[in-house]
Amino acid sequence: MRDTLDPGYAKAAKRRATGGAPSARSSAAWLVSGLLVVGLLLAVAFRSAQAGSAGDNLARDALVADVQEVQAEQSALVESAASLAEQVRSAQATAGGELAQLTALEEMNALVAVTGPGLSISLDDPNAAGGNAAVLDRDLQLLVNSLWSAGAEAIAVNGVRLRVTTAIRQAGGAILVDNRPVSWPMTIEAIGDPDGIHQRFINTTGFGRFSTFTQLYGVTFDVIAVDSVSLPAAAQVDPQYASAEPTSTAVTTPTTVTTSTS
Amino acid sequence: MYAVIALIAGVAIGLLTTPEVPDWLGPYLPIAVVAALDAVLGGLRARLDGIFDAKVFVVSFIGNVLVAALIVFLGDQLGTGAQLSTAVVVVLGIRIFGNAAAIRRHVFKA
Repeated sequence: MRDTLDPGYAKAAKRRATGGAPSARSSAAWLVSGLLVVGLLLAVAFRSAQAGSAGDNLARDALVADVQEVQAEQSALVESAASLAEQVRSAQATAGGELAQLTALEEMNALVAVTGPGLSISLDDPNAAGGNAAVLDRDLQLLVNSLWSAGAEAIAVNGVRLRVTTAIRQAGGAILVDNRPVSWPMTIEAIGDPDGIHQRFINTTGFGRFSTFTQLYGVTFDVIAVDSVSLPAAAQVDPQYASAEPTSTAVTTPTTVTTSTS
Repeated sequence: MYAVIALIAGVAIGLLTTPEVPDWLGPYLPIAVVAALDAVLGGLRARLDGIFDAKVFVVSFIGNVLVAALIVFLGDQLGTGAQLSTAVVVVLGIRIFGNAAAIRRHVFKA
């Protein structure tokens, strides 16, 4: 290890000293061809490293573009589904009777856009950009559950309305609400009794935990009471296995719904 | 003099023609570059020591590149992955440091 020079050089020098030195021309030819190969190797390695990094960037950009395109498409489809559902509802409204009951059930299941007084919570986690977020999915779950227990009738996280089957969970660094990624900063809006919801919410564990986060990790957590917030409709539930029983009084027959909590 | 011209010519040819590197050759290229650096610094040191020999230089360069590539290939086949590549880089790195230090002593007398 200590002898870093190739011993061949010393041997060649000894051979030369005892006579039999190679001709100047042949040694120049060796040198030129050898260094030509070395230069070629360096240039090719440089080029291929450059091409490799450029290819990686291209692939990443293309993937990001794909994701954004598909997300835009999904938003458009959700909007068109909401407007179609609105048409169905206005047609039902003229019918009255049993269909009015259906409308009430749809309101309960977050299938219609709603407006009302309530709370608006601004959340921002400054550590999230660096990859070690202080706020995790379970904290958001606790906060949302605290809002429900404080008397909220409808909640949306960054414009994603919560419904019965909504899950808030984490996939890597991203937080998914109802399988749609939400990014920082977040706005959580809740509709509820304007006189009591703010007071009751302050007494919940969720509020306590986020107040601690503010002190420990610099998380932004502002709760303000608002006179009117509008929450969009949640995505429709697509029953894959449930179907209405084929009876003559189909409207009054309860539908068997088996929904797995995800 | 020829040596510098040849080196520049090699770099120029490589940059201008941009030969397509086949995929299977990809993992060997960085190792070959390290082996080439070792050979060049070794040659430079030998020249400063006054014992440079062109044939030894070329043969040791090609030999080092081939052996380094063989070890990397063996690592791939044995499933030790990048660990044998690391071994090659460590050994050649030590030699590069040693030769660079010797050149420094020649040039700066320190």
